[in-house]
Amino acid sequence: MTFEWIQIAYAALTLFIVINYGLIMTAVVRKIGARVGGRYGIPVWQNYIDLVKNFALRSKISHGVMFYLGPVFRLTGGIGLLLFVPTIYGSVMFQNFSFAGDLILALYFIFFGTLGMALGAGESGHPLAAIGVSRGLAQVTAAELPLALAVFAISLQYQTLNITEIVAAQQGSIFNWTLFTNPVATVAAMFAFVGTMMRSPFDVVIAPQEIPIGPPTEYHSAYLALMQTNRVLFPVAKVVIYMNLFFGGATNWAEFSIKVFSIYMVSVLIGVVHPRFRVEQSIRFFLKWGLPVGVLAILMV
Amino acid sequence: MVSAIYIIATGLGAGFLIGLLKDDRKGDAFFLAVAALAAMAWISVSWTLALTAGVAEPQQIITAGVQPPFAINLRMGLAEAGLLSVITLTGLVSAFYLRPALMQLGRRAAAVLVILVMALSGLVLTRDVFNLFVFFELIVIATGGLVLLSNDKRAVAAGFKYLVVSQVISVLLLIGIIFTYHAQGSLNIDDIPAQPMAFTGAGLALFLVLIALVVELKPFPANGWALDIYEAAHPGFSALFSAASATTALYAADKLFAVAGPDWLPLATGLGLISFLGSNILALAQRSDRRLLGYSSVGQIGLVLVVLGQRDILGDAYLYVAGGILITHAIAKAGLFWLSGLVTGRDLADWAVLRANPVLVLAFASFVAMLLGLPPFAGFYAKWDLAHTLVAADRLPVLVLVLIGALIEAGYLFRWFGMAMKRKSAVAFPGFALDKVTAVIIAMVAGWGLGYIWGAAGAHPNLMLATPLAFALLFLVLEPLPAWAKNLLAIAGLLGWVALRYPDYDPLQLVFALVMLAGGAVILLASFHVRGRRLGFYPPAMLMYAGLAMLIDAQTSFQFFAAWEILTLGSYFLILRGQDSEPHALSYILFSLGGAFAILAGFALAAMGIQPFALVNLAAIAEAGLAIAPWVFVLLAVGFMTKTAAIGLHIWLPGAHAEAETDVSPMVSGILLKAGLFGLWLLLIYMGRQTLWGVDLTHVLVWIGALSAFLGAVLAIFQEDAKRLLAYSSISQMGYALFGLALMNHLGWLLALMFVINHFVYKSMLFLAVGGVKERTHTKLMYKMGGLITLMPFTFISVLVGIIAMSGVPPLSGFGGRWVFYNAIMASDLRLPMVLIFITGPIGFLYLFRLIHTIFLGQLKDEHRKLREAPFWIVLPQMLFVAFLIAFAVLPGMMLRRVDAYIATITGDQALTWSGRVITSEFGYWNPIAIAAVIGAIFVLVLALLLAINHNATRVKQFNIVFSAERPYKPQTTHFAWNFFAPYRKALGFLESPVVTTFWGALTDSLHASADFARRIYTGNGQTYALQVVAFVVAVYLIAMGGVS
Amino acid sequence: MYLVAMAAGFLLILMGLYGALTHRNILRMIVGFTLADSGVHLVLVAVGYLPGRTAPILDSAVPLDEAAQRIIDPVPQALVLTAIVIGLGITALMLAYAYRLFRTRKSLDIAEFTELKW
Repeated sequence: MTFEWIQIAYAALTLFIVINYGLIMTAVVRKIGARVGGRYGIPVWQNYIDLVKNFALRSKISHGVMFYLGPVFRLTGGIGLLLFVPTIYGSVMFQNFSFAGDLILALYFIFFGTLGMALGAGESGHPLAAIGVSRGLAQVTAAELPLALAVFAISLQYQTLNITEIVAAQQGSIFNWTLFTNPVATVAAMFAFVGTMMRSPFDVVIAPQEIPIGPPTEYHSAYLALMQTNRVLFPVAKVVIYMNLFFGGATNWAEFSIKVFSIYMVSVLIGVVHPRFRVEQSIRFFLKWGLPVGVLAILMV
Repeated sequence: MVSAIYIIATGLGAGFLIGLLKDDRKGDAFFLAVAALAAMAWISVSWTLALTAGVAEPQQIITAGVQPPFAINLRMGLAEAGLLSVITLTGLVSAFYLRPALMQLGRRAAAVLVILVMALSGLVLTRDVFNLFVFFELIVIATGGLVLLSNDKRAVAAGFKYLVVSQVISVLLLIGIIFTYHAQGSLNIDDIPAQPMAFTGAGLALFLVLIALVVELKPFPANGWALDIYEAAHPGFSALFSAASATTALYAADKLFAVAGPDWLPLATGLGLISFLGSNILALAQRSDRRLLGYSSVGQIGLVLVVLGQRDILGDAYLYVAGGILITHAIAKAGLFWLSGLVTGRDLADWAVLRANPVLVLAFASFVAMLLGLPPFAGFYAKWDLAHTLVAADRLPVLVLVLIGALIEAGYLFRWFGMAMKRKSAVAFPGFALDKVTAVIIAMVAGWGLGYIWGAAGAHPNLMLATPLAFALLFLVLEPLPAWAKNLLAIAGLLGWVALRYPDYDPLQLVFALVMLAGGAVILLASFHVRGRRLGFYPPAMLMYAGLAMLIDAQTSFQFFAAWEILTLGSYFLILRGQDSEPHALSYILFSLGGAFAILAGFALAAMGIQPFALVNLAAIAEAGLAIAPWVFVLLAVGFMTKTAAIGLHIWLPGAHAEAETDVSPMVSGILLKAGLFGLWLLLIYMGRQTLWGVDLTHVLVWIGALSAFLGAVLAIFQEDAKRLLAYSSISQMGYALFGLALMNHLGWLLALMFVINHFVYKSMLFLAVGGVKERTHTKLMYKMGGLITLMPFTFISVLVGIIAMSGVPPLSGFGGRWVFYNAIMASDLRLPMVLIFITGPIGFLYLFRLIHTIFLGQLKDEHRKLREAPFWIVLPQMLFVAFLIAFAVLPGMMLRRVDAYIATITGDQALTWSGRVITSEFGYWNPIAIAAVIGAIFVLVLALLLAINHNATRVKQFNIVFSAERPYKPQTTHFAWNFFAPYRKALGFLESPVVTTFWGALTDSLHASADFARRIYTGNGQTYALQVVAFVVAVYLIAMGGVS
Repeated sequence: MYLVAMAAGFLLILMGLYGALTHRNILRMIVGFTLADSGVHLVLVAVGYLPGRTAPILDSAVPLDEAAQRIIDPVPQALVLTAIVIGLGITALMLAYAYRLFRTRKSLDIAEFTELKW
């Protein structure tokens, strides 16, 4: 895997597709939620409107350098996560920059945006932002644990940390997917998935329905626009990893869009039927239910 | 050569001559006494020199012109000459020390002093058992007289108790002597044939003589009378009583035990152990300085009695070992008693007044180190040889008990030293009398000199000639220089040493040398910020670095252990310098010494009496599959883990690191901890996997490492104190490194090595940063800070880079560590410990975020609005570290590749392939430069986008936030910082319960409580004491003789 | 006869020690020790005694060449002299102490002098 300049253009294309896909998909999900609840809901292009509006806002303030850089970190984290992972299996165009590192790079790069965002929100001096960060970080330690164990289990199973090789091993039949070859690991990973998608019951971190809390509290205008971009990009990038590791990856964009939507819907479906956990409750939940499954996964490999 | 009999003749003559003087000629009396003592000392010393040089032969002195046994004979050998030198010189110095008291009491006191020294000398010289009795009684009478020199009214009672017990002893002694004579027909010691210890008339007689001599040694628990003397007598006399009398009595016992035969030696061993352990435990409860010294004296004499009990196995080394401990003790104890005369208060904490004079502090430290057998003093060599001999002769239990006793002694001695260094002086500074200070200095110089002699005389390399140590000791002399000059020299010395040794290092040693020594030089840059002379900083710091340098170079177990103790000692003094570090420094030194003793036992067990024992021979032991191999492994591993603060042995670390000075914290955290890793590294390379009771010990280490990593991180997130947070984080990081090492595969070792480098860099950097903040804000509590980012931007940058590197977020070097880690665990067959490690990573992120958020972000406090950036010299090394971290992130190959190749030579496999910029393992790949480039490019693009739109954002003031349409204005209530991870505490707070602290606390508390309870046997009633002596004799008789027959 | 002396000596020692260890009055203790000392001296002499022999004085009654067979062992007798002298010295010193103790506290009860303890 060597680098050629054209890959930059390919990567930009991936990014463009995924951002648009994310903008529409998240709006569709909200729309579905509204219809199920008997409301009319937003138009599917609502995200575009919001984005344009925020970019166009004329009143903009800054609390300092880190505040300014926070959204930059955040979006860089989202884009990087997407681009360090091959999106479409077998396609030369959509391998992105996966030559830079393997699965471990992707897993650790998730923290990049989180850290930058948290720092930026911190500099605003708003206590609610800090409270959100504190909650989020506390929850993620427990929520990520089953995923870490599941990843360990499947990398032992496939004897590699190379994402492309893991996807390659799942080709041929639907029963070659990790979902079927290693269901325990998949279940463990899904605990983490649901826990980190910022949806109920694990969304006390940003508490979207009440007074604003969490990192976005003080952000507005283009800052918020960058964050919104990330809000649609990041979940997709994350789902791509799950898709590659557990659900056979995608060989074309159609398969990609179906799989990503389906996996995303898991967290949505769980979210709409469950009330919200407090942070310590979710920590206990993951340690009580997620952890044993994860441990089982690494012991069964 | 002047015959030794002139020692006695001079003493007697002077005694009588003084008696003839008129009452008012006190000055002349004093002069005569001093002259006599000087003459006696000169004879003794000249004999010692001549005998060691081989110029003279040992001399038999016959009195009355008749051969023994028909007349008393004396002997002057090397042992006698050495002890006589100690006795007479102590007498001489004490005479000067006692001068005011002697002048006050008149000429008779001077005469009694000379007679005492004469009698002590006679006791050493004589070979006649009845003559022994006579000199004993002379000593009793002289002691009875000299006790009265004290201003302390209680001394009279003490003297009387002493006389009462002496009467009992003399009855025993006389009956024993006469029946021994009856059985042997001779009073000459050399005519007493070896006696089996069975119940025969001769055996009983010998028993009485021996037990009388033992009781004379003030054995625990029949020694209340002696303690009273130590406490109440004039310190000048107590010095004599401890240094000379006790030494002499021991030698007298030695003479008799030597002829009594090997059957009797276990008696000496047993009584010695009881005495050593018992009085050391009881000393724990002491608050009075002189009484404490008394307990310590009793304990030390007990220790020599134990050595005496080993004379059958020590062989030729007997004099070296026993003499090393005995004479070191004599010098140190005399010095300490003389010191006590300079202190007006009698509480241990009153010794704080000594801080007025740095030389006295040095003396105090030296004496404590001498008593505990720390390098480079003579007791250290003796301790080492004793341990090896004991193990080789299968007397491991004796060694264990001795080490436990020594640890307890270290406990109260270092506690005392800590009080003297840190407590406020309750008494007004009295001004130090020059003659008394001189006496103390003489003792100190003698102790150092003795250390040199013992180093030169033994089979081991002389530590004082080791270049690093000599360089460190040089700083003692350079103390008057300004700090910057010393700092310059220290940095030059460290870098020079690395440059000098560089060609001989293998890559592993090179990494550790670069981290410990070159890295030490970088941290020392921060020390430039201190103005003035900074007394007491450079000698211990350089002592620590000397120990580290010697540790890296060590080839034999002796060198390794000596280096280990030197660095421990140096770092202890360094840690103790911190503001509130008294209790923490104490627990540090206790854990470290406990660990050092485990190492000592481990090495002794491995060597099985063979000296010198090359470290590589550990591999031979492991290969031979000896039954002791796993035990060696366990002992050494436990020893090393006290330094890396593995969980369970970690409670010293948070306080020690957090309370240390700004530039000391990174030294003891970033550098010192690596010494333990270095030891573990060698252990695992040489000994590999060991199995005990079917358990693979490396698996145990993996678990310990994982638990340390996890619990260290959990505890770190709950800290409010920034330095404590970093300290707990060190526990966690060292856990990672231990975990990696114990995986026992190529990548695990590489992982550990990356942790060595990375942890040094970012922990030093963070400690310096937090230290710099503390210099400005004068607090370490994070919730009292906030919003410092604009005031201290450089410090913020270093913390930011530090936490990115540490949390393993790409692109900085911490990620490399994680990547190697994943590859390492995939190559291992262990699964469950990984669970702990996996959860540790994100938790680490938690405490790091808290560190940066609560200090630099959030709301600025009113009192901090005028703060400036941290001092330049504290920021400078941080910026160097930042540059290094970024460079190391992009080009990890520079050092790792060499080390990787080196590890491959040990493990025999090639785990990583280095092609161009890409590092490939069996499982994955990693291209640091590509990562950095991609992230950098995306970041710049997004930033450019934001700038394009938002370049004209208005900078708003503090409190301009969305706050329910109100503005808070009060940073204290707006800065979310205290109990930052409250939900975490609710969920997992039980992990915070101080189980380990409670355990160790309960252990020490119960020791203290039992000491406080048990010491009530010393009722203060002279009659009870006498009764105790009788009961002691009967009990020993029943147990010892009953066991035989 | 010498056995009687020896027995008496031991009895004296025991009596003396018993007295010294039970009486709280300092002077009585000293007397007790003197008693014990005397017992020791008696034992010393008794050990040197050989039945049927004469005093170790070399004069016309005991020719030099037969001395070894005819006199009792002279060494214990020499020793006992020394022991007596030393015993005297110590007793004197103890009495001096008793005097000083009495002056400080106006008491001779050994149990009164326990400021130094533990």
